[in-house]
Amino acid sequence: MAWNEPGKPGDKDPWGQRRKPGAGGPDIDRIVKDIQQKFAGLFGGLFGGGGRGGDSHASGFGFGLILVVALMIWLATGFYVVNQGERGVVLRFGKETQITDAGLRWHLPFPLESVEKVNVEKVSTIEIGYRSNPRTGGKSKVPKEALMLTEDENIIDIEFAVQYKIKDAAQYLFNVRDPETTIAQATESAVREVVGKSTLDFALTEGRDQVSRSSRELLQQILDRYNTGVHIVTVETQKAQPPDEVKPAFDDAVKAREDEQRLINEAEAYANDVIPRARGGAARLIQEAEGYKSSVIARADGDARRFSQIANEYVKAPAVTRERLYIETMEQVLSSTTTIFIDQKAGNNLIYLPLDKLVPMGEAAGAVPYVPPLTEADATAAGAARNGAASRGRTDLRSRGATP
Amino acid sequence: MNQNKLLALLGIVLLVLITVKSAVYTVDEREKVIIVRFGQVLRYDDGPGLHFKTPFLDEARYFDSRILTLDSDPQPFLTKEKKYVVVDSFVKWRIEDALKYYLTVGGQETDARRRLEQVVNSGLRDEFGKREVKTVISADRNKIMQILTEYTDREARKFGIVVTDVRIQRVDLPEEVSQSVYQRMKAERSRIANELRAQGAEAAEKIRANAERQRQVLLAEAYGKAERVRGEGDARATALYGQAYGRAPEFYSLYRSLGAYKESFRSKEDILIVDPSSDFFRYMKKPTR
Repeated sequence: MAWNEPGKPGDKDPWGQRRKPGAGGPDIDRIVKDIQQKFAGLFGGLFGGGGRGGDSHASGFGFGLILVVALMIWLATGFYVVNQGERGVVLRFGKETQITDAGLRWHLPFPLESVEKVNVEKVSTIEIGYRSNPRTGGKSKVPKEALMLTEDENIIDIEFAVQYKIKDAAQYLFNVRDPETTIAQATESAVREVVGKSTLDFALTEGRDQVSRSSRELLQQILDRYNTGVHIVTVETQKAQPPDEVKPAFDDAVKAREDEQRLINEAEAYANDVIPRARGGAARLIQEAEGYKSSVIARADGDARRFSQIANEYVKAPAVTRERLYIETMEQVLSSTTTIFIDQKAGNNLIYLPLDKLVPMGEAAGAVPYVPPLTEADATAAGAARNGAASRGRTDLRSRGATP
Repeated sequence: MNQNKLLALLGIVLLVLITVKSAVYTVDEREKVIIVRFGQVLRYDDGPGLHFKTPFLDEARYFDSRILTLDSDPQPFLTKEKKYVVVDSFVKWRIEDALKYYLTVGGQETDARRRLEQVVNSGLRDEFGKREVKTVISADRNKIMQILTEYTDREARKFGIVVTDVRIQRVDLPEEVSQSVYQRMKAERSRIANELRAQGAEAAEKIRANAERQRQVLLAEAYGKAERVRGEGDARATALYGQAYGRAPEFYSLYRSLGAYKESFRSKEDILIVDPSSDFFRYMKKPTR
């Protein structure tokens, strides 16, 4: 029973003189008796004999007292405390006899028994490829450990943290000399074996987890083969990257991947801009054509109807209508232009026409701009009219609106 | 008198203690022991615990019974393709037969280590010489370790030693080779980078070209359709005109010409020089025909 076990204050003090029988825990009287019985044969009554052999009762008594006190002190050296999470391994003459849990314990004092304590709860860490400094919290690199070869003969820069605890105290103590170094060696060997079976790209990217897992398994196998009594909790990949020497090139390759995507995106943006615009342009062309078609037909229809109606009336009185139309037109033409009337038969004299006076009336305002702001249709209509009314070119038809 | 007795008693006790100390020996869980009397091995297989021997004559010699490590320095080995690799290995071994161990290596751990190292080294040299770097690193790594473990174990048993494991801890390339590996890795990456960028440019160009083609096709098709539509319009208009005008072609000429005259001369800037003999002016000379 642990001497610090809660709830029983009366039992707490292991040095308490009066203990209830059967209360458990170390009872010095009983233990002393035990020992005397246990080792009666071994020591052949050496102490007892010594005590009885004294001639003088007084000196014998004094000697005996000293012996008893010495014996008590000697026995007291057998007490030991096993902390929570620890196991005490008791060795009798070097042979393992028992494993004790947390609490105040007692073993036969030196040189009969000894105890070795092992913490089985504590999780220890081994670092491969780096060492963290517990005081500053910083990390320092160990390139010799961190750089390893991959299957494709590349070199990877990888760091691992291994966490382990002791699962079997006796195995841990007795089976391997220097277990910590052994774990470190085995870790490095296991990790390198696993990394050596992976390609660089795999270990760098999607394989990180798998590398950790396989390393853990392999490491546990190795340590079990040595019976180290160690349980590997985790093997964690801290860092996996290309070595510093080639890192810029790797980063550039990553950037290139981005560039590739960027170029494609830009082109797609361009396409997304151009095609709808083209569709819009195409729609405009067609709409314009449709508009043209409708307007041309509508005009033609109008023109044709108008003509037909006049023609109908014309048939009824052709001569008069002709005459009327002619006179009306001439009237309109002559009245709206500068008309010069010359009777050529009056004489053969040269007539002086101040054309330069007449024409500049138009030029003064600038010949071209002054041409009354005609539309294209008007202009072509005028041209067509000069070329002869019979002309039925497309342009002619298109300028139908300009005709009376 | 009492004092003398006491002294004598103490002397006896001391003597007994010394004798007992010499007659008793303990074997730890971590130890093996050999009992030697005048150079002659008496016993060698005592388990842990308390044991007795003849005092003063017998001598106990202790060996470590735990797994021990031989971690030799990294050494260069030639591979099949005559490349050097630096190999760091370790051997886990244990004294199995204390007697043999005592007899063959005199119980000297350094001696045992030296022998093991020789065996492992020659084994490594053999196995690496048969393989290429790539195989050594990945495929056959485990196999080499197995072969070496078996081989070393076989050899070591002659010294009473059991080899638990021979493991290759590191296989590294020599520094100058590492540099060339870095160069190669760099070149490889820049090849990949170039490839990626070129692929990007390729894809981008394709997308652009495709877009432009689509634009061109769209516009051309639209143009085609537009012209067709215009043509339809023109044709329809022509038909309408033809139908209407065809009924009175003569009158159309007049009508249209007159319209054209009106259109042509309608501004004061236009100058008409007119001969009075024109039919229009016939009444200007005499009121009747």
